[in-house]
Amino acid sequence: MKKVVSVSLGSSKRDHKVQVELLGEQFEISRMGTDGDFNRALEVLRELDGKVDAIGLGGIDVYLYVRQKRYAIHDGLKLVEAVKMTPVVDGSGLKNTLEREVVRILAENTGLLKKGMKVLMVSSLDRFGMAEALYDMGCDMTYGDLIFTMGMTYPIKTVAELEDIANRTLPDLVKMPFQMLYPTGKKQESQDEEKVRRFAGYYYEADVIAGDFHLIRRFMPAGMNGQTILTNTTTRDDVEFLRDKGIGTLATTTPEYEGRSFGTNVIEAAMVAILGKPLEQIAAEDYLELLRRLNFQPRILRLS
Amino acid sequence: MATHTEITESLKVFKDNYNGNERLKIMNRDWNRVVVIKATDIESLHTLKVQDGLVSLKEGAVENPNLTVISDSETLADIFYGDITPTEPYNNGTLRIIGQEDDIIRLDFISLMIWGE
Repeated sequence: MKKVVSVSLGSSKRDHKVQVELLGEQFEISRMGTDGDFNRALEVLRELDGKVDAIGLGGIDVYLYVRQKRYAIHDGLKLVEAVKMTPVVDGSGLKNTLEREVVRILAENTGLLKKGMKVLMVSSLDRFGMAEALYDMGCDMTYGDLIFTMGMTYPIKTVAELEDIANRTLPDLVKMPFQMLYPTGKKQESQDEEKVRRFAGYYYEADVIAGDFHLIRRFMPAGMNGQTILTNTTTRDDVEFLRDKGIGTLATTTPEYEGRSFGTNVIEAAMVAILGKPLEQIAAEDYLELLRRLNFQPRILRLS
Repeated sequence: MATHTEITESLKVFKDNYNGNERLKIMNRDWNRVVVIKATDIESLHTLKVQDGLVSLKEGAVENPNLTVISDSETLADIFYGDITPTEPYNNGTLRIIGQEDDIIRLDFISLMIWGE
């Protein structure tokens, strides 16, 4: 049996373990949250090194892709460098491929994404592929990175401006402590009430709210009106949270096992274990081919 | 070591570059903040005021600023001239910024939008 572990800077409340069969191979997939404790994450990674087939890093990005440019988040790199033998992935390699594909599938096969729809991406620099795919299909985009990261009332409306801002600022922002840019640990379990109040309008005006689930959750107001959420990782509790807020449909980019969808870091780690190739030899086409063989489809859940 | 005059000049360059950037003025049109800049190795205090998207500068400090930027004179001059970004001195403790986390990130962001690649 192949073992894949996702080590996350997120809450340990979301820990779980499942066994699944992928392409005829048995997998034990587990998640270990470290409640935002960076040093604990380093310990766990060193402990797992050489004992599992692949490791996914959750709750933190290592690489941000902006078209052909790749920016490495320094704190993420420290985690990767703690592991010497086992392949470590953060999901970004797969995200760029899978999430473009999911946008295409949802646009072609469901009514959930249509040209002209208002889409709020609470954060987009961590999933440029999705940001670009939604823009290219003609959605009316609001990229909320500046709004929700630093409280700036400045919706970015085009991929070109998103790219310009990213290229000016990311070379330096990736050096900042990660917790200044993204909620980790306990922050993932609470809402930022001030920003919920200030920026509720962006949520209410959108037909679709897309992006990282922790960020979507952190800023979502009550009294939503049947909107669609497009995200990756959710638990049963998350589904109930969305139902309570008035969300209509949840679409997750990764499949469900035992009531939860796994993060792209877990799926990418499983794929790396299947492929058995060195990381530097794995191309986007490899992931795309595997996605087809695994018949991966986004999960669509009607909540109201 | 930089002089008080050099810090003043660097802040003027920062102010002028900011005020010449239409996008930054729009981005910060509702971010009204008072920022005190204090050198640790010489007598040098300045106040930057962001009001309705525009930045103004005066020498000396005001009470109860929203942000206080503290570093040695050389680092302050380097940052406001755009020779270095605030991130590295902030990470290694050479630069201290007292204020709300969102405001600290925004100040960093503004300097990157002025001097970034």
